[in-house]
Amino acid sequence: MTTEGSDPLLDRVARLANELGPALAPASHIELLEAITAAAKELFGAAACSLALLSEDGTELVFHVATGEGASDVLGVRMPSDQGVAGWVVSSGQPIAIEDLANDQRFAREVAETTGYVPTSILAMPLETERGRLGVISVLDRSNERGSDMDVLALFARQAALAIESGRVFADLGAALFGALAGASDDDELSELLERTSAESRGSQRRLGEIAATLNELAEAGPGERDLALDVLRRFLKYSRSRW
Amino acid sequence: MVNPAWSWQFDPRVLKHVDALPLPARITREWAWEGADGAGVRVAIVDSGVEDGHPQVGRVNGAVAIEFDPEKDAAPRLVEGPHEDLFGHGTACAGVIRKLAPACEIHSIRVLGAGLSAHEDAFVTGLRWAIEQRFDVVNLSLGTSAQRYYSVFHELADLAYFNRVALVAAMANVTGPCFPGQYASVVSVAAREGEDPFSFLANPRPPVEFGAPGINVEVPWKDGGRIRATGNSFAAPHVSGLVALILSKHPGLTPFELKAILRSTAANAA
Repeated sequence: MTTEGSDPLLDRVARLANELGPALAPASHIELLEAITAAAKELFGAAACSLALLSEDGTELVFHVATGEGASDVLGVRMPSDQGVAGWVVSSGQPIAIEDLANDQRFAREVAETTGYVPTSILAMPLETERGRLGVISVLDRSNERGSDMDVLALFARQAALAIESGRVFADLGAALFGALAGASDDDELSELLERTSAESRGSQRRLGEIAATLNELAEAGPGERDLALDVLRRFLKYSRSRW
Repeated sequence: MVNPAWSWQFDPRVLKHVDALPLPARITREWAWEGADGAGVRVAIVDSGVEDGHPQVGRVNGAVAIEFDPEKDAAPRLVEGPHEDLFGHGTACAGVIRKLAPACEIHSIRVLGAGLSAHEDAFVTGLRWAIEQRFDVVNLSLGTSAQRYYSVFHELADLAYFNRVALVAAMANVTGPCFPGQYASVVSVAAREGEDPFSFLANPRPPVEFGAPGINVEVPWKDGGRIRATGNSFAAPHVSGLVALILSKHPGLTPFELKAILRSTAANAA
C-alpha cells in the first residue's frame, strides 16, 4: 500500500473511506438495475432485457442483470468485448438495431450455445456517462416496435449507467473522495499526491463478500482504532483546508 | 421500425425544400455523377476493419490497424497489413460504398477493438493518419460525445477540410453531442427510410445536413454474412459512395464544393 513518496496518513484515510463506503450505500444497485431492465422489458413488450458490464480490464462483457427468456442462463456469462453486436455497441458507443438475427447462422449458434434462447431482433445501447463507458443494455424481440425505441432505450441506459456509477462510487468512496479533492485543489503537488493515493487505494472491495468481511474487521477493531481513524480524518481535513 | 436520432427531420411531412444553387445552369445528377463508377477515388473507412473478399465488398486495397500494447502506456501504433473485421460494422459500411461506387479503392483503418479505454485515442490516431495520407473520402460511421475530445477532433476536421479530404460522418443515433459529425465542415448524415441508395435528402435545419437510407437496410456483415440493421452508421456510407462517384467524375473538388453539389442534387432540392 505505502509507496515511495506517498503519505501514510493519506493512505490510512483512503483505506478507511474505501471500507466505509459500501456500508453507506442506500440500496443494492443490482436491485435498481433489475427494476430498470424489468421496466424496459415491459415497455417494449420484449422477450428479454439484459445488462452486460465491462470487466475491469475492459476485455470482457459480463452479464450482470437479465430478465425474461434465457435470463437465468445468461447471468454471469462472459464474452470478449471485441466481438459481436454487443461488442460493437460498447466499442463504438453507438446503438444498433438488427431485425433478422436468426438468419445470421453464426450469431444464432453462438447465442444458442450460451443462453438457449435465439432472438430474432436486438436493440442494443451503450451504457455510458460523461466519465466513461460501462457496458451494454440489450432488448430482445420487441413486440411493440416504435420509431422512438432508440431514444426511449437511451433513457433507460442513462438510468442504468448512473445507477452503476453510483454503486461504484460507494464501493470506491475513498478513491472518489480523493479524486474530488484532487480536482478541487489548485496545488499541483497535493493534487498529484491525492490522485496517486486514490489510485493506490482502489481495492477489490467491489464484491459483496469482501465488503462484508471488511465491515466485520472494522467492527472488531475496537474503540481505540475507531478514535484513531476519526482523528486521522479530522487531521486530514484540517491539513487539506489549510492548503486550499 | 426504429428511427435513430435526427431521422425525423427527413420525414416527408417535416422536411422542407432547399434552394438549389442559383447558377446560370442547374447542377444536375447527370452532370454530377452519371457515368461515373468511383474509379480513381480512394475511400478510407475508419471503423472495425473491413472483410477482404466479402462478396458485397470485393477487394480491400489497403489496411492499417491502430493497436496498443496493453503492457505499456505507450502511444498507439499503426500496424499496416491485412486484418479482419472484428464486428462486421466496417464491412457493412464498405458494402454500401461499393454498391454506389463499384470501382473506388477501399482502405480499412481499424480503430475499434484496440482496447476500450483507448478507443478515442485510436480513433484520433486513425483519422489523423487518413488525413495525412490524403484519402479523397473518409467514412466515419462513429463518433464520440466526450467533451475532452472536442478540440482535437475539431482540429482534425479543419485539417481535412484544408487538405481536400472529405469527411463524411454519421451523427450519433441518440440526441446529444457528436464529434466530429457536428462540425460545420463535415458532411453529416442521419438515417432516413427507404432503400434507394441515390435517394438522399438535404436538411435545411442543422446540425445534421443530409439524410440517406439507414433504417432497416440490408448490409453485409462479418464472415460473408448479411443482416438488416438500423443506424445512422449505415446512412453515412451512402453519402460517402456518392461523394466517391462525384469525385471520380470531377477530381479535385473541395469539401465545400462537394457539399454544394450534394445539396443541389438532393431529392428535395428545388
